[in-house]
Amino acid sequence: MDFAQWLENTGFSVWVRESPRIFAFPTVLLLHTIGMALCVAVSAGINFRILGFAPSLKLSPLARLFPILWLGFWMNAITGTILVMQDATNKLFNLDFYLKMVFIAMAVVALRMIKKRVFLNPQVDKTPLPGNVKTLAVLSLFFWVGAITCGRLLAYVGPIVAKAG
Amino acid sequence: MESLNLAHAHLLLNHLPTIGFGIALCVYFGGFFTRSESLKKVGLVLFFLIGVMALPTYFTGSAAERSLCPELKCPADVAPQIIRKHEDLALFSFVLMEITGFFSWLALWQLRKTSKIAGWNWGLVTLLSLASFGLVALAAAEGGEIRHPEIRDTAEVALPVIEDAESTGVARSIGAVVAGNTGVGWLWPAAETIHFIGLCMLFIVVLLVDLRLLGMAKGLSFKSLYQLLPVGMVGFTLNLITGVLFFLAAPGQYVNNIEFHRKIVLIVLAGINVLYFMLVDETWSVGPDDEAPLRTKIAAASAIFLWIGILYYGHMLPFLGNAF
Repeated sequence: MDFAQWLENTGFSVWVRESPRIFAFPTVLLLHTIGMALCVAVSAGINFRILGFAPSLKLSPLARLFPILWLGFWMNAITGTILVMQDATNKLFNLDFYLKMVFIAMAVVALRMIKKRVFLNPQVDKTPLPGNVKTLAVLSLFFWVGAITCGRLLAYVGPIVAKAG
Repeated sequence: MESLNLAHAHLLLNHLPTIGFGIALCVYFGGFFTRSESLKKVGLVLFFLIGVMALPTYFTGSAAERSLCPELKCPADVAPQIIRKHEDLALFSFVLMEITGFFSWLALWQLRKTSKIAGWNWGLVTLLSLASFGLVALAAAEGGEIRHPEIRDTAEVALPVIEDAESTGVARSIGAVVAGNTGVGWLWPAAETIHFIGLCMLFIVVLLVDLRLLGMAKGLSFKSLYQLLPVGMVGFTLNLITGVLFFLAAPGQYVNNIEFHRKIVLIVLAGINVLYFMLVDETWSVGPDDEAPLRTKIAAASAIFLWIGILYYGHMLPFLGNAF
């Protein structure tokens, strides 16, 4: 709790939270939303293709879009950290926040497994996809939906874990 | 005359759905009579465009009401009951027009994909367009009666002013439920969550198609990428439904919110942008490893700009505008 309080009271946290300037909280949250769109849209687009949408769409060139995906991911890692800092005494004691982190971690694991099985295979557009990739694609979509849901609900649910101290 | 306000915009736009639909139906059925595929296609394009323009038409309605009846006080010859009836009919016809626009777009997409529109979709679009026209004509007639006692039914000529007219009607009831006034608190957060999921689905298409046209992942052909478009349209539909629910629940947050007006203007432009990709042939001939023509690149860059802009104005509703 002391740590959370310190985090929340650093000069930077206070500025993000309380500055009336549009570049403070509104812009951090805006970048968090745009980062989500970049990261989830590219990942979900690949998943939809694996699941059979747009069957004539070649998979291998889609690997070129991974930098956009990671750009979105790291934008959100940074803006997400800022958003937690400026409200640490609430967010760090909120079960919903940890659920979101678990969903994101699992989404990244699923993504890496898909990348290994699909994009590191030079024959990917010539041979049928291994069956378990479709399961991974479904799981990946599920994890992203879970992460978005938990993230959005952070605006509505207060701390669920009892505050220590 | 004072400077233009949103009531002016509503009075101008409200002629589009009725007159526009009349013209669109003539063109569409003219296509069937003359067996002209291109005429039918023009009809579909018009249905889609009316669906797009129905957005500002519907949303400016609440603003017009607020100009006419500020602080819920209507002039003596204006019966609030007629406004409520008009609002409900407008909502129903708005929903039907959006569905008609969606299936008209789907027909144009099928035409691109297999150069043939599925039989069921012809039937569906025909039925939907007739139903939309009928309902929107009723909504327009009711809207006319708000300010024109001379066209009211004899029974409605001298309507008594009732106190609780503000909270009657279907549109207001849906709004009250979504806002949580009836004790169901989770609907608004649930709609917000779906709004974000829809946003991601929409961005699948925005990013994949438009980044390809701008030169990333050039190994993909436009035709194969555009097969993904229904995913984006479903995303847009989710956001339109949840967005209208927000509007119904808290119209006061939106009608006089400049960020919301900008958002709607950008959505209309994005609709025209989608139409550009449906209709212009040169984009469809962009094969694997081809460089897209300059005009296509401009359209692709505008699409990214427009959708990020829509996201931006939506996000800024509470920060720059007066929402929440």
